[in-house]
Amino acid sequence: MQIPIERYELDNGLKVVLSEDHTTPVVALNLWFNVGSRNERPGRTGLAHLFEHIMFQGTVHVPDTGHIAHVERAGGSLNASTWLDRTNYYDTVPSDRLELVLWLESDRLGWFVPALTQEKLDNQRDVVKNERRQRVDNQPYGDWDERLQMLLYPPDHPYHHSVIGSMADLDAASVDDVADFFRTYYAPNNGVLTLCGDFDPAEARRLIERWFGPIPRGPAIPPLPGRPLLEPLKIGTEIRETRRGGVPLPRVYLAWRIPVYGTQDYYVADVASELLAGGKSGRLYRKLVRGRRMAQTVAAFVLPVVTGASTLIARGSAPGGEDPALLERALRDEFALLASEGVDPAEVERAVTGLEARHLFDLQKVNERADQISQLTTYFDDPGLINTELDRYRAVTADDVRRFAAEYLTDDNLVVLTYQPDEPAEAAS
Amino acid sequence: MSAPVLDRTRVPPRGPLRPFNFSTVHRRRLANGLTVLVAEVRKFPVLTVDLLVDAGGVVEPEGEDGVSAMVCALLESGAGGRDAEEIAELVDSLGLSLDAGVSWDTGQVGFTCLRARLEGGFELLADLVRRPTFPAAEVERVREERLSTIQQRRGTPSWVADEAQGRWIFAPDTLFARPLGGMLRTVEGLGRDEVAAFHARRYRAAGATLVAAGDASVDEIVALAERWFGDWEGEGEPVPEPEVRPRLAETTVVLVDLPGAVQSEIRIGHLGIERKAPDYAAVTVMNAILGGTFSSRLNLNLRERLGYTYGVSSSFASRRQPGTFGLAAAVQTEVTAHAVSEMMRDMREIREAPVSAAELDDARNFLAGVFPLGLQTTDGVSGKLTSIATYGLPDDYYDHYRGQLLAVTAADVQDAARRRLWPDRAAVVIAGDAARIRGEMEALELGPVVIADPADFEA
Repeated sequence: MQIPIERYELDNGLKVVLSEDHTTPVVALNLWFNVGSRNERPGRTGLAHLFEHIMFQGTVHVPDTGHIAHVERAGGSLNASTWLDRTNYYDTVPSDRLELVLWLESDRLGWFVPALTQEKLDNQRDVVKNERRQRVDNQPYGDWDERLQMLLYPPDHPYHHSVIGSMADLDAASVDDVADFFRTYYAPNNGVLTLCGDFDPAEARRLIERWFGPIPRGPAIPPLPGRPLLEPLKIGTEIRETRRGGVPLPRVYLAWRIPVYGTQDYYVADVASELLAGGKSGRLYRKLVRGRRMAQTVAAFVLPVVTGASTLIARGSAPGGEDPALLERALRDEFALLASEGVDPAEVERAVTGLEARHLFDLQKVNERADQISQLTTYFDDPGLINTELDRYRAVTADDVRRFAAEYLTDDNLVVLTYQPDEPAEAAS
Repeated sequence: MSAPVLDRTRVPPRGPLRPFNFSTVHRRRLANGLTVLVAEVRKFPVLTVDLLVDAGGVVEPEGEDGVSAMVCALLESGAGGRDAEEIAELVDSLGLSLDAGVSWDTGQVGFTCLRARLEGGFELLADLVRRPTFPAAEVERVREERLSTIQQRRGTPSWVADEAQGRWIFAPDTLFARPLGGMLRTVEGLGRDEVAAFHARRYRAAGATLVAAGDASVDEIVALAERWFGDWEGEGEPVPEPEVRPRLAETTVVLVDLPGAVQSEIRIGHLGIERKAPDYAAVTVMNAILGGTFSSRLNLNLRERLGYTYGVSSSFASRRQPGTFGLAAAVQTEVTAHAVSEMMRDMREIREAPVSAAELDDARNFLAGVFPLGLQTTDGVSGKLTSIATYGLPDDYYDHYRGQLLAVTAADVQDAARRRLWPDRAAVVIAGDAARIRGEMEALELGPVVIADPADFEA
């Protein structure tokens, strides 16, 4: 299965990738900007994400909430998301409405600032505060990623603060702050536009030039604030935090700093987490859930982030009344075994088989394909990796896993975050 | 070369429209009574296969709430000649994405796989469905796991609100008032005997359906079905039709107290419709206008105008029998009463006046347009086959689905709203800090205000 890739660049610096597929009469437009919470200055955290919300509030030519209404009435779906390194905007529409979404997406890149008002800012600030209440404050364990980021990365690293940011900072943000943020980061030379699905490439090129071509190139993108490089990469000590109350059952998170997405060791880390917790044949499930019954659920995963260091995170939730220290010990022992005893090549093979299969299942959707292409182009300027990235996984050996574990999954490179109920939860009686 | 001047104020014209057709549904019946539904989807070398049995929540014996879900969860704990560990290794070596679960109407177990692993997938599926061994230790483990899951949900505000909603929509002595998956007291009583007996009675060839969508021909699928399920036997027992009766005769505010909560989880609901209801398309369009899209009345009002919430929505959950209708939102505590009154107002208004031509057009086009988006994957297509099988829809139902939506009129919408929305006998459930919202909720005078205790959830 080969995904076709056609890459070029507009004069204003916008990178464009076209990937045709005529099986279903739909087309996905996916636009990545190389800006995320990592670009925020101290005192102005949460701006990248607040900004993503305001981007739906209209332009000089598109009225407030008109963007979403236009796409929905065209029979399309759309959304956007903000993360540490990037912000993405995406629409999937019937293929006869391609030009509609090119209009809408180019308009908010070229004609956003003059339409920005205090009222829009205030309204979306309220929405974001409610997003935080719903996802973080009123949700057991809802602050886990915020806590881990704070513990894993030093205060002057761009990943130290969460994507949703500080509510006090949001309150302090002015219309000028938002406009400045836009002028700094929302420029064609800081973006990647991917089209995937049912379109004619020559026609698509013409339409993209028509709508995006007139937008001027922006100034050079400023360097990241703080100290994005982590040298040494490892933490150098063990860091612990326990959160008490507000959760029904105990839960333990372990997180190690590891090399960033794109390095071969990152792929090794992904395979290691897959063979530990990817399926029910994984070591953590087999031993801790099914075998010793000290965990209800387990998970392990890596974050595809590219600034300084990524992280490998493992999670286990304990049955009511169980001492989370026991679960922590057991989880740590399993990671230690990777280094001390190594792994079976058959486990590596199973892990890669699972990763490969899920990769193909995901790629069935044009929007998923477009998102992956934009990601690979934004981070590595290499959209063709969508066809070859699996080779990086296939190259991972059992020895790699052992060496990687010995180097990075060590006690002096570890954050332990534990959640404890107020009082030991009684087992059902 | 100079480009023509571009008018950015005008919506660009449409391009050439290409037709979309739902895959042809092929139906076969094996001699043992097993129905096979197949849709060929030949793009990626991927397939989804699901086996459906009448083994969902409605056929659970009295006092054994949760047994259907336990059975599903335990199929991969031992089957045929393999124990749990061997099954897990096989699943992962084949790269199968295995999925098993229950709805009120059915039990379902199946997988998505690469084409090259299809036969292996069938072999395993036949073992899971036909020859599970239910080892006692695994039964005990899964029971503890499910008890923990229930505890976990009861500590999560959105779940608490959902469960309370079901309990206040349906009369307390009827089945649907209780949560699918059971309660602590019923799950505690489930052992190997109950699980094995439920499986023996309800996992039977006659009445079961195998659905498959993906990169294989009808003949290939039927041959595999014959090979792995052709000698599966058994007549299914009749499926009872549980009584469906609403609890409330007048709108009632139900406060589930979560002291200190920073938000109120609001659920306003009542009885909904069955999936085969003749006005299903009209109800779907009406719901899209009310709260089924981002641009819906409710979301534009509560999120975009008032900034009270990250999102508000309305939905009908349909079953073989009437399911639920509900509005859902999480709002900051201090605006709870005003949010509820706005939600009630939007619910009344769509009954009282016809929707505008633009609203109608937008909603119809939205629903018709997004329909193919969900059908790009094999599991999306198999999901539609599952609906055909579960609800007894005609095989060509999805060929006409978009046409049905596009034919809905403003009068149909108002008619559907008047018949299907009950603002005067709704359960207004709020999981939040009762001490801070009670006074304001009483002042709204929507109806009686009662305090519900999550301890009642064991009833």
